[in-house]
Amino acid sequence: MIITRQKPLEEIKETLSRYKGVALIGCGGCVAFYQTGGTKQTKEMAAKLREAGVNVVALGVSNRQCYLCEEKEVANLSDAERIRKVARELEGFSKLEEAEAVLSLACGVGVQNLANILDMPVLPAQNTLFMGRRRVEGDFDLEQCIGCGNCILAFTGGICPVTRCAKSLMNGPCGGVFNGMCEVSKSRVSEHPVPCAWIEIYNKLKKQGRVDEMRKIRPPKDFTKAAHMRKVAWGL
Amino acid sequence: MGEVYSNFMRSLLSSEFTISGEIDPPKDANRAAVEEQVKHLKDHVVAANVTDNPIGDVIMNTLAPCVIMQELGLEAIYQATCRDRNRIALQSDIIGAAALGIKNVLALTGDHTKMGNHPQAKPVFDLDSVLLTQTLRRLREGENMAGEKLEHPPKVHIGVGLSPGVEPLEPEIIKLEKKIEAGAEFVQTQCIYDEKVLERLKEATAHLDIPILPGIAPLRSVGMAKFMQANVPGISIPDEMLAKLEKSKDLTETAIDIAAELIAAVKDYGFPGVHIMPVGMDRYVGEMIARSGVRR
Repeated sequence: MIITRQKPLEEIKETLSRYKGVALIGCGGCVAFYQTGGTKQTKEMAAKLREAGVNVVALGVSNRQCYLCEEKEVANLSDAERIRKVARELEGFSKLEEAEAVLSLACGVGVQNLANILDMPVLPAQNTLFMGRRRVEGDFDLEQCIGCGNCILAFTGGICPVTRCAKSLMNGPCGGVFNGMCEVSKSRVSEHPVPCAWIEIYNKLKKQGRVDEMRKIRPPKDFTKAAHMRKVAWGL
Repeated sequence: MGEVYSNFMRSLLSSEFTISGEIDPPKDANRAAVEEQVKHLKDHVVAANVTDNPIGDVIMNTLAPCVIMQELGLEAIYQATCRDRNRIALQSDIIGAAALGIKNVLALTGDHTKMGNHPQAKPVFDLDSVLLTQTLRRLREGENMAGEKLEHPPKVHIGVGLSPGVEPLEPEIIKLEKKIEAGAEFVQTQCIYDEKVLERLKEATAHLDIPILPGIAPLRSVGMAKFMQANVPGISIPDEMLAKLEKSKDLTETAIDIAAELIAAVKDYGFPGVHIMPVGMDRYVGEMIARSGVRR
């Protein structure tokens, strides 16, 4: 899942201040599962914004904002028609023409996809953080994959050191591991203690009887596969 | 063992008990601060490490004190960490250091940027300590990471770190084995205060053919001891040692005594030498060694 957190209301209000009418579009994907931008949160956001004096003219939720429709399908439609096409209607869609901007509660991919389809400004309601999953123990979301382009999970017990080791180390734990926790857990700028990925990898491999995977020297990371901006072609 | 380039490596290969020290570079451009430490260490250690912005606090770079101390007749062990430099900068720095006469390099991962006084900085970690070790050997053998041949390779001996007090120890030992496979020629460890850790280190590395210098650092106060115990990974400080500090009427004297006992213990356990991190007590390093009796 793409992990997001809503921006502070003050910041959202500030970005909306120059528009007379705003349409809110949530997303039925990751942000709905993680309860930051689904139907319920879109309605709540509308209520909060209205209370703060923002003119919310319409709100809806798209199925997956990162995957809406082909550009050619909407090429000849007006902005309002396009919004209607991509969003499941919740409230006020008859007044869409009054919207001067869209506030999207999707992740950064969804916002950009919508912005690519619409002529009017599409503004983000979220900060997009990372690809991750919820850790039940500790009740926090933890990054799982940075999309490095060279997956090594086969050798690391299904635990990614490129992502989950603060130093992206390829060849085992550093000397900073403290009671099984990463040294950055002790940093005053860290919000949550995080486990040492390499100790987790070691424990998992030990359980699977294949600690020998840790004995091989893994080569340096290849940043030709991970440097921005990346694209990949179909049919290769 | 092939060619020997440094006095430090020569000493490690001899039957002599080898003692290395450590210089803390100042946070400003104070050359005298380096010279002062060199003055105190010079007659007592074969070589001294120069740290690479430990914790991620900004201090004088590693190379400048290395060059200053070698001008003054003390051999340098250049510490290189992977935190701030990618593979281009690391190779370039080592090549330059070798051209300035550096003959020993200690390859370390480095503390995370979040630990220091510039926590917003971008952490690099392009390579890790195993891969840096491998890179140093490759450079020395006359080839850079791009496979280009070097007519004048950097002739440096390669050392690595070890944290013998961490739990579990096996992953740390596996990593050491990889460092040896990658080209490590000596080990200097994180500081040890507990003889049980020395014993554990001895046992866990009995199968490895590499000189290991356990690290020791004087304890200057109960507060420092407790802080280290709580905050530095793998550090355990025996109760008797804490009691000694608590009862002490002269902390400097007690610190020297404790350091001397540790140095003696390192030798008793059969290690080929010791790495002394003076942490500000450089003027007493000679006395620590004298009291330990290891040179008798």
